[in-house]
Amino acid sequence: MIGRGERTFNYAVLLIFSLIVLVPAAVLVVAALSPYTSGQADLRNLTWSNFSTAWTAAQFPRHLMTSITISVVVVVVVLVVTPLAGYALSIMQIPGHQALFVLFLAGIMIPLEGIIVPMYFTMRSTPLGGTIGALIIAHIGLNISFGVFWMRATYRAIPRALLESAQLDGAGPFRIFTRVAVPLTSPAMVTLGILTFMWTWNDYFLAFVLISDPDRLPITVALGEFANKYTNSYNLMSAAALLVALPIVVLYVFFQRHFIDGILSGALKG
Amino acid sequence: MLPALAFYGFVVVIPTAQSLSYSMYRWDGVGVPTWVGVQNYVAFATDPVVIQAFQHTLVMVAFFALVPIALGLVSAALLSRARVRGSGFFRSVIFLPQVLTTVVIAVIWRQLFSFDGVVNRALDVVGLGHLAQPWLGSFTFALPVLGLAGTWTTMGLCMLLFLSGVGNIPTELYDAARVDGAGVVREFFAVTLPGLVPQISVALTLTLIAAIRVFDIVWLTTRGGPGTASITPAVLLYTQAFTAQDIGSAAAIGVTLAVFSLAVAIVIARVTDRATS
Repeated sequence: MIGRGERTFNYAVLLIFSLIVLVPAAVLVVAALSPYTSGQADLRNLTWSNFSTAWTAAQFPRHLMTSITISVVVVVVVLVVTPLAGYALSIMQIPGHQALFVLFLAGIMIPLEGIIVPMYFTMRSTPLGGTIGALIIAHIGLNISFGVFWMRATYRAIPRALLESAQLDGAGPFRIFTRVAVPLTSPAMVTLGILTFMWTWNDYFLAFVLISDPDRLPITVALGEFANKYTNSYNLMSAAALLVALPIVVLYVFFQRHFIDGILSGALKG
Repeated sequence: MLPALAFYGFVVVIPTAQSLSYSMYRWDGVGVPTWVGVQNYVAFATDPVVIQAFQHTLVMVAFFALVPIALGLVSAALLSRARVRGSGFFRSVIFLPQVLTTVVIAVIWRQLFSFDGVVNRALDVVGLGHLAQPWLGSFTFALPVLGLAGTWTTMGLCMLLFLSGVGNIPTELYDAARVDGAGVVREFFAVTLPGLVPQISVALTLTLIAAIRVFDIVWLTTRGGPGTASITPAVLLYTQAFTAQDIGSAAAIGVTLAVFSLAVAIVIARVTDRATS
């Protein structure tokens, strides 16, 4: 049991850490509503028009569509491809599954910087060079490692008895996959989908290197360009930043457990 | 299995091998590459800017890894008796920076540390107005200020990792420590710290690799400046490859970063294995 004083103290500690996070975030919100280009707070003149000004000036709809397209395609492909591979490596135990797993695992540790230069030139030499297609393929490839690793760990946790009884009923590997493995592990797949979406949406570096056409930029890189162009309009810059952060923050509010537990346990299993 | 392998091979495995080979050539991205062996590595080991960039990595290690882990451990120590796993609202707030894209964090930081930004105005209010300056334009402060952005981002991750780890430590160990009359400090070193070895190892791996890779936050605020005062290896890699058109040395920097990251991951895993067995 803990006493009242101790409890108050605990909340004070949590509150201090929360404030460290919240103050800079609040500065962004206040600046986005400020009538001054300096972003100085003026709570009596909340300027909501900053959002619409930024929306138009940054050509938001176009970049938003680009980001949505990229993220959705990447999530769908990752959610089809990595469960299959994770299944083959865990439950089916295909020949060489251990070596293959080590190969996939290595990808978690190789940083993007180690491969970005050749990746750029390889992509450039294909017809997809400089397009969203190239970016999508790169994102999928980079998300495979975590996806395979995550799904393999998930399938290994399925009780063996369930799989064996399906086998006794005469179900083949593919049937067991679609009828037993996938339905049992849908929460893990939701987590994987959310994390993949977030990583793809939040990416800056990969898109920055692979895409040079200003019309094809996803929203993060577009925001970077916008912030450089309006370098002295902190109010507009902040409004644009909030618009970019909004979709992920909304997802976060609804699916916090998936975000937090996914990242924490994903990290620990690694 | 095969589709995953195909994407992965094309995007990760083949470029990894190519990186090694690129780093052995001098190439401008257009003409014919010339074989130079390890010369790119030798050249950059003696280049003062490269050395400076890697020294900056050490500063980033302090801000991205050491400070957040220390803060996380302090919070775990303070909260271990209550065994709060960072309940509800607080948990979500503290974790928030992890889900924000660096571009947004860069905008926040430019706003906080600009000449008429919040930090300078706060200094004014408390009578330290003479310290006010354009922080990101300062040769001395640009790098640490960017480092603070890293602390802000990784702090919540470390804290929640440790708090959830504390939740897994058997209550009996804490009860036993209390029966022995251990205070908060003794309890921390005897029970909490040993119980958190796996979480500390994960936090160290993630944050050290983040520190080695710093690019976005620097590129979006100072571009490595003023001068080269806040340059990092990843920024240097980008400018070598896409501004200076020196593909070979860019690949050499990439390979070096990859080797460092792998080494960090492997060493930490080894040490953890030894500590827990």
